[in-house]
Amino acid sequence: MTTRTRPRRVDLARVRELVGHPDPAIEAKVLDRLDPYCELLIAHSPYCVLATVGPDGLADCSPRGDDPGFVRVLDERTLVLPDRPGNQLAQSFTNICHDPAIGMLFLVPGYAETLRVNGRAYPSDDPDLLPMLEARGRVPSLATVVEVEEAYLHCGKANLRGGLWESGRQELADLLPSGGVIAAAHIGIDGLTAAVLEDDLADDYQRNL
Amino acid sequence: MSTPEELEVVVAELSWEADGVVAVGLAPLPDGPPLPAWTPGAHLTVRLRPGLERQYSLCGDPVDARYRIAVRHCPRGRGGSDYVHRFLRPGRRLRISAPRNHFDLLPAASYAFVAGGIGITPILPMVRRAEADGIPWTLAYVGRERATMAFVDRLTRLDAAESTTGPRAPRSTVWASGTAGRFDLTGHLDAHRREHGRARVYGCGPTSMMDALEELCAQRADLVFHGERFRAPGADTAPGRPFDVRCTRSGLDLHVDADRSLLDVLAAAGLPVAGSCREGLCGTCEVVVRAGDPDHRDHVGLGDRTAPRVMAACVSRALTPGLELEL
Repeated sequence: MTTRTRPRRVDLARVRELVGHPDPAIEAKVLDRLDPYCELLIAHSPYCVLATVGPDGLADCSPRGDDPGFVRVLDERTLVLPDRPGNQLAQSFTNICHDPAIGMLFLVPGYAETLRVNGRAYPSDDPDLLPMLEARGRVPSLATVVEVEEAYLHCGKANLRGGLWESGRQELADLLPSGGVIAAAHIGIDGLTAAVLEDDLADDYQRNL
Repeated sequence: MSTPEELEVVVAELSWEADGVVAVGLAPLPDGPPLPAWTPGAHLTVRLRPGLERQYSLCGDPVDARYRIAVRHCPRGRGGSDYVHRFLRPGRRLRISAPRNHFDLLPAASYAFVAGGIGITPILPMVRRAEADGIPWTLAYVGRERATMAFVDRLTRLDAAESTTGPRAPRSTVWASGTAGRFDLTGHLDAHRREHGRARVYGCGPTSMMDALEELCAQRADLVFHGERFRAPGADTAPGRPFDVRCTRSGLDLHVDADRSLLDVLAAAGLPVAGSCREGLCGTCEVVVRAGDPDHRDHVGLGDRTAPRVMAACVSRALTPGLELEL
């Protein structure tokens, strides 16, 4: 890749000049807790993205998915997420133990709007909490408790522009190499070929969902 | 759920039957055919949302045009009751299975009914049936607190139904163990035997209560136990041993690890096995066993069937190192 001069940086004043100011109604839609609509959306969401901040100050996004409603609402200010078997890097847990700040984006397939929930999180192994997070006969050994401070419905424009739920969009996947090919390139260890990683992934997907 | 047995219904009413218990009336669609008939002891599988199915006993009257179920709210449960209480509202359409009955009320000289908590739901239509048929019955309805026990009023009205043979003692006992202490199940059953002789004992409640009831009946030749159990969320099950499975139709050889269920292994191999409750309560996932001895862990009595031999793939395992299944 050729180096070139870094793109011009502008300050917030310039940003405001370009994007304008929000309608007061938009600012008012930020709730300080979950209302019944937020709870309804979370109860039907099979997928959310967690944003946390690492010890190095870098933000990190991590996807979570399971049967719709896998994130449970304990009350209007408390959510709980099950920990399902993953890669054991436990990045999100590492991050929230360092800095409890958390941002969550909930998606519902076919639904244009998304729900953003921000708050502070901590890990929990509370035996009173874990059984309610059972899935496929397994009770998780760990969960993330989120104390909600902000919740708001994000309009569906990004989703609609991106055509995220349009069935034709699935053809994009055919244009990509498999996950095994990409993982092999990223890992770069001899013997860990795409085929080996492909098998490992398939096995992991079968055993550890 | 298999398609031909699936129905669409509409939530027609919700009623608050006791603290934490809501009854849900399910009606046929406005232009749809009447709902299939059912008998006391039957249950439905209700698809609350994709990925969330639950079994509920029918607690209404078989002559009603609507189905009726009752659901106790367990906010820290696995999510089914929480969904019903928070999000089911009149007008919502739901997909349900046709009623299935693994808990049939068989002919008997007398019935001793025992209900623990929300376990009253299948028992209530049974009591009505026994009363209508003029067969002697008693009911022990045990809960923690009276305020949380559904249908007490209905039972009181049923019990007070006019007798043609003169005055008689109340036949239903409502027992709140939170205030009255432990219920004397043994004394209750022995009193039933003294007054009515032989009986079929129909019980529905928590596993611990049903286990005690089953043991009591096993020790008394004149009592035959029929039970339906429900379990607490996250209740422990005995650890499994790994076993091998040969599927005779597809020719697949599969291995079930100690920590996996047969149902999960079959589903992962792409075999068409329906699963619903995953607790051995509904019988949806039954598979035919050609060879080997299943370790029956279901609560619907699949182990009692002789031909064809079947097992619940969700919870049951193998006593032999391998099984042959007709799949």
